[in-house]
Amino acid sequence: MADVEFRKVRKAWGKVVGVADLDLSIRAGEFVSLLGPSGCGKTTTLRMLAGLEFPTSGEIRIGGRTVNDLAPGQRDIAMVFQSYALYPHMTVEENIAYPLKKRGVPRGERGPMVARVAEMLQLGPLLGRKPRELSGGQQQRVALGRALVRDPKVFLLDEPLSNLDAKLRGHMRAELVELHRRLGRTMVYVTHDQLEAMTMSDRIAILEGGVLQQFAPPQEVYREPANRFVAGFIGTPSMNLIDGQLAQTGGRWRFEAPGLALELPALPPGTPGGEACLGLRPEHIAFGSGPLEARVALVEETGHETIVVVELPGGLRLTGRTAPGMALRPGEALRIAPDAAQAHLFAAGPSGRRLNAPAAGPGRAAASVSVPASAAHAGEPS
Amino acid sequence: MARRVLFNLFAWSIVLAVAFPLFWMIVTSVKPQFELFRRPPTFLPDTVTFEHYRTLLARTNFMIYFRNSVILSTVTTFVVVFLATLGAYSLVRFRYRGRESLAFLVLFTYLLPSVVLIIPLYLMLVSLGLSNTILSLVIAYTTFALPYALWLLRSFMAGVPEDLESAALVDGASRLGAFRDVILPQLLPGIISTALFTFILSWNEYLYALVLVNSDGARPLTTGVMSMLISAFNIEWSLLMAASVMMSVPLIVAFAFLQSYLTRGFGAGGVKG
Repeated sequence: MADVEFRKVRKAWGKVVGVADLDLSIRAGEFVSLLGPSGCGKTTTLRMLAGLEFPTSGEIRIGGRTVNDLAPGQRDIAMVFQSYALYPHMTVEENIAYPLKKRGVPRGERGPMVARVAEMLQLGPLLGRKPRELSGGQQQRVALGRALVRDPKVFLLDEPLSNLDAKLRGHMRAELVELHRRLGRTMVYVTHDQLEAMTMSDRIAILEGGVLQQFAPPQEVYREPANRFVAGFIGTPSMNLIDGQLAQTGGRWRFEAPGLALELPALPPGTPGGEACLGLRPEHIAFGSGPLEARVALVEETGHETIVVVELPGGLRLTGRTAPGMALRPGEALRIAPDAAQAHLFAAGPSGRRLNAPAAGPGRAAASVSVPASAAHAGEPS
Repeated sequence: MARRVLFNLFAWSIVLAVAFPLFWMIVTSVKPQFELFRRPPTFLPDTVTFEHYRTLLARTNFMIYFRNSVILSTVTTFVVVFLATLGAYSLVRFRYRGRESLAFLVLFTYLLPSVVLIIPLYLMLVSLGLSNTILSLVIAYTTFALPYALWLLRSFMAGVPEDLESAALVDGASRLGAFRDVILPQLLPGIISTALFTFILSWNEYLYALVLVNSDGARPLTTGVMSMLISAFNIEWSLLMAASVMMSVPLIVAFAFLQSYLTRGFGAGGVKG
């Protein structure tokens, strides 16, 4: 068990920057996910940790020891690849025993160690088979077994579940969490699937364009996204991000966009006015009553909830979610109430930083909603 | 139905056209001398004799040429496969300046006609003091077998997933260890095809052997049999055919043994996605 540290780690191929000055401290025993869209640098980061790529500059430490110049085999790590990378000409048993063989474990001791892992992952009956004779799920377990057979300082997992079908994926997610709890080992997990990151990790590192956007526990990433990118990336359906104008009048902050005006709770002193972006989670829009007029544009029934897309008079579209059974039809007019207390505010631009403090909790703070000045109740204080 | 018959006729006529010379070669090699030029010719010999084979083995240099050819082709094959495997590994796995240009430069040398290269090569080998040796032929054959072998193995190597090597490295293997444990077994069908190709090329080569070697001690089968049995005045047909049969045997044996290897192991599914 060991901590992992990236210090100003940078990876560039000529002018193309894969990872830009990454600072990341992973505690010993922690389960950390590297999450981001494809091409964000998460796999490069993992491969640098594994020693399969070399950083252009910066320092990588495992257990307090700088590993920059160590070969992958000397770093005391184990890795599960997205492709599983099982050796096709070896049996399952030989595959699992390979890391032991390469580290000079005597032949006699390998058997019991392989047997222990095989029992843990229910691979016993498959030990004599070749990888091509296994199903995807079985191959995945063998890949896991090859990593678990030793007791490395850090486990690296590169999208290990992405080739499994949805049901098996859910099952393996739970298995991995259980495994991490039981072994207590440091695990670094690369994924583009936010559900995996949210459900499994102690902390999530969100990357975009090679830059670390936020590194925090899952709930914090969801409740307090550090910037607009994280806000839009985490959550399904994703957060409504509305570009508009932020202005302060008489000590009260007000956000305006076409067809929408919100009075916001107090913002930290020094908050700049002008162009800004307001973020609203779908669950923070109430349907049926409220100050805003809207028209239903789209209804998606998922079974356990209903996703509703509404259009405001100004053409702005908002996504909300409600309990199933609410009979809404496209084209229908209805009133909606955004919860301004739960609103997130970001600076303008695609990765604008967060401007407001997070809402205290689900309760409503002193905030209110007003219809835009152009609407019927113009000028009336709400 | 008629199309099927036509197609079958067509296919069989091609098979016959290809197979008949081989059949005639074998038949001629076992016919007694007096039956060879009988008119009309006999398709199957009236009497079968192996006297030509006996003559060839006992009273000529055939066995020396045969030994030369075996040494020559085997050594060339080993050298070419060894260099091409490592070269292909480098061309596929490492990134360095001029990698692609290097690969194309190698291919370009393959595209040059051998008659253009043969005189300079001969002069170089003479100045190295290697003329008239088997080694000179090994070097010459390597120069034109290697480019093709390199390209063949490069495509095989590109088909071996990089993750396999990465996994072996993480599992504690050295680069060379990963190469031996993981890449080489995956590459085996490619290596065997390349080896077979190189062996056949060296076994059948004539032009270089004719120019570079002119002593019986170093002559391979192709030029040896030619100079021994074909003169301006006479062609020893029966001996020539017996020699041809024996020249073909090693290739047929090699194919028979390796054919299963060539088809086996392709697309083994260790990696998904």
